[in-house]
Amino acid sequence: MQLTSLGLVRGIIGYFVGLVVGMAVVMISRLALGMSAWDQEAGWVGGIIFATIGFMLAVGSMTDWLKWTRGVETPFHHGPPVGKPAWTRYFSVDYNHKVIGIQYGVTGFLLLLIGGSFALVFRAELADSGISFLQPGTYNTFLSMHAWVALASILLGVGGMANYLVPLMIGAEDMAFPRLNAFAYWINVPAIITLMISMLFGWDSGWTAYPPLSLRGPVGYQMVFWAIFSIGLSSILGSLNLIVTMLTMRPKGMTLFRMPIFCWAILATSIIQLTATQLIGLAFLMLSFERTLGMPFFNPLYNALGENIGGQPLLFQHLFWFYSHPAVYVFVLPGLGIISELLPVFARKPLFGYRWIALSSLAIALVGFLVWGHHMFTSGYGEYLRVVFMISTLLVAVPTGVKFFSWLGTLWGGRLTFPTPMLFTLGAISVFLIGGLSGPILATAATDLFLHDSYFVVGHFHATIFGGFVFPFFAAIYYWYPKITGRMYNEMLGKIHFWLMTPGFWVMSLAQMTAGTMGMRRRIADYDPALGVEPVHMLITIAGFVIAFSILLMIYNLFTSAEVGALAGNNPWRSRSPEWQIPSPVPEHSYAQPIAVVGEPYDYGLAGSTYVAMAGAGDD
Amino acid sequence: MLKLPQSSTDRKHFVIVGALVFVATIALGFFLLAILPVKAQYSVQAEPIRWLFQLHVWLIAFLFALVVVFMLYALIVFRKRKDDDSEGEHFEGNTTLEVVWTVIPLILVIIFSFIGFQTLRDATRGGDEVQVEAVGFQWAWTFNYPNGVVSQEMVLPVNKPALISLRATDVIHSFWVVEWGPKQDLVPGMTTRMHITPTKVGEFKVRCAELCGLSHWSMVATVRVVPEEEYIAWMNQKLVEQNIQTASR
Ligand code: HEM
Ligand SMILES: [Cu+2]
Ligand SMILES: [Cu+2]
Repeated sequence: MQLTSLGLVRGIIGYFVGLVVGMAVVMISRLALGMSAWDQEAGWVGGIIFATIGFMLAVGSMTDWLKWTRGVETPFHHGPPVGKPAWTRYFSVDYNHKVIGIQYGVTGFLLLLIGGSFALVFRAELADSGISFLQPGTYNTFLSMHAWVALASILLGVGGMANYLVPLMIGAEDMAFPRLNAFAYWINVPAIITLMISMLFGWDSGWTAYPPLSLRGPVGYQMVFWAIFSIGLSSILGSLNLIVTMLTMRPKGMTLFRMPIFCWAILATSIIQLTATQLIGLAFLMLSFERTLGMPFFNPLYNALGENIGGQPLLFQHLFWFYSHPAVYVFVLPGLGIISELLPVFARKPLFGYRWIALSSLAIALVGFLVWGHHMFTSGYGEYLRVVFMISTLLVAVPTGVKFFSWLGTLWGGRLTFPTPMLFTLGAISVFLIGGLSGPILATAATDLFLHDSYFVVGHFHATIFGGFVFPFFAAIYYWYPKITGRMYNEMLGKIHFWLMTPGFWVMSLAQMTAGTMGMRRRIADYDPALGVEPVHMLITIAGFVIAFSILLMIYNLFTSAEVGALAGNNPWRSRSPEWQIPSPVPEHSYAQPIAVVGEPYDYGLAGSTYVAMAGAGDD
Repeated sequence: MLKLPQSSTDRKHFVIVGALVFVATIALGFFLLAILPVKAQYSVQAEPIRWLFQLHVWLIAFLFALVVVFMLYALIVFRKRKDDDSEGEHFEGNTTLEVVWTVIPLILVIIFSFIGFQTLRDATRGGDEVQVEAVGFQWAWTFNYPNGVVSQEMVLPVNKPALISLRATDVIHSFWVVEWGPKQDLVPGMTTRMHITPTKVGEFKVRCAELCGLSHWSMVATVRVVPEEEYIAWMNQKLVEQNIQTASR
């Protein structure tokens, strides 16, 4: 087999060919306009745009569309590529949502590891005061890369769960637009390459990229802007696809309020992604244009009279947070959906208040659009805005509370068992609780004037993100692992993973909050030992390494169990959900015949009830 | 051994959990106050911040205890026993409960909005008996007084309301003296302000709190709060050093 028969390899070649072509185009245009040939800002922007297109063409994600323009028919090919080993389909364009789901999930997991390693590097530096091995410039680059790589990993992880699970859960053959689905996945790959290249040049603003700082630094910024633009495009296309799939492809009998609850979470998430992502794409493009072409959007410029004829730095912050606050709900709503999905199975009880949980996801998504200004309490915007955003932000606590209490109602009176996925679900609740409860203290503006840009905020959002994404993501991996591979993971190792990671995380986030109240600023390469935060930092670093080690155990577990794990059978968890009524691993065509919904999804304990009727396909 | 009731809706469960939540709230509240030492304490504006922070801590302690105690209790009491293969009790929800736990948080939100509003007002207001302009640039500070004195350190008299005007010349910075409490960004193209009435004599540091590039971490200047006589003496000496004729200004 030839290496270039892998789409990924062809894509990477296409990327670098495109890069060279793009740079050449820019240079020739500049020469034609009588300018010097090389300008690194313009050169790289042209290069990246062409490189991205080059990748997408070469990987084959647009081949069918191009054929359509010529009137050529492109029937679906199902199953592994002809004449090649089965694993190769994961490295090429494939339209099966299960393959794409795995591609998303694995890429997301890899990014989580890369982003996490960046954190370990600078955590090691921060373990004691004084600059030991990371120079401040490198420190800033690692810090900033950590954030965007980790955020990209979450977006891809969410995409993985949604793409794999949603069609299975609603008994659909595939997503509504399989080709668009593949395109939306693959556009992330050149974006990640671009993001990695930015490290060669460095950039130092943190993920928020506030101008004017982001207008001044090295050319690495351009790569960040365009990488995030592409990842944003992926979010928009992917969420569009998911919304259409859920609204139009449900089986007979599955009303909206009979969808598995995870689908509601994805519906709310997708609405946010479809409507808010434009704002960050726009904001980052404006930064790129300002850098490349000198368009004065954000940087103030003065004329001879001292009047500002340039831009306004705060404008960027509004655009940025108008996306980035709702985005934090993109990170957590799917995970909260996983929690709601798994609890009934392991409690053997109906989900308490299904409709309330479903609607609270929508409520969080909608209120989430009104709160962006809580990131700007100290920014110097109009004073009355602080009050407006304080109130709207506090309101988010209401639908969030509904979820917590409904989860308790689900546990109450159950017959609880605690395999690894359940442990991670409970861990998620405990961690998200820490994150959620530290929110209102940042929302009342007065306290935020003190806590903003301190380690307290770092503690807050790591707790929300771990509780709302990482823990549920791991729960989901352990839970659906038997469905994906057909084999069970090693329960012992799973439990060790949990008991290392969870206390590790509690210690880490509380210690971060402690450091914040003691006056530790966020995003600094070195700190003043006079603050007394040194022991706290040592603790954070140790906890961070414990968490990292526990994740290595998970990887080992997942790899070895795929070979030696016990055969799982169709439904090891005795779930009512449709995907557990079919063989594991799921066959190429998931459902032999269309399914019909004949009951409520979570009626555990109601004698004789089922959720779905499988025409034809029995228990094997 | 305490004999627990079979039915999950038996009152006995809730009495036990209620008592545990109460104990846990107290324990957790003190624990959190111990590990979250708010270092903002040496200005008039820091007081309301500390007060509100501690109010939050008690609310957090209660809500955390409420959820975690209920959860742990359920995990222990409603765990599946070895020989028991039955399913859980069948109830799908309870609208009254859902309404209760929507409305009570809503009331709390209204209360906290009101308290938050008042605290914000108290934490941001003050007089302008002393005025000073702090200019931030990559990666240092200078301080300009209205009489023309320029200084590398900021000196303020104790217990006098000060109005600090903030200006950035290059990128966004943020003015933060931990011990005073609030911080305020410096934004190129505009002048921002903050009120501070320092209440304790001593030497502090103003540290830039908004990532501003390479040496952001070391963008620090000294802040001295001194008795009023000392402040006047310092100011006079600066005037002499900098040859500023008060009359000609
Ligand atoms: C009860 C709900 C929540 C409230 C009231 C809340 C409130 C806040 C506030 C006021 C800030 C600004 C703090 C500052 O920069 O000074 C903040 C920051 C942040 N929150 Fe939350 N939050 C909540 C839930 C969440 C959730 C669910 C996430 C999901 C991941 C999240 C992620 C973040 C992030 C990432 C930041 C920091 C962004 C940055 O400056 O880099 N929060 N939160
Ligand atoms: Cu936010
Ligand atoms: Cu600064």
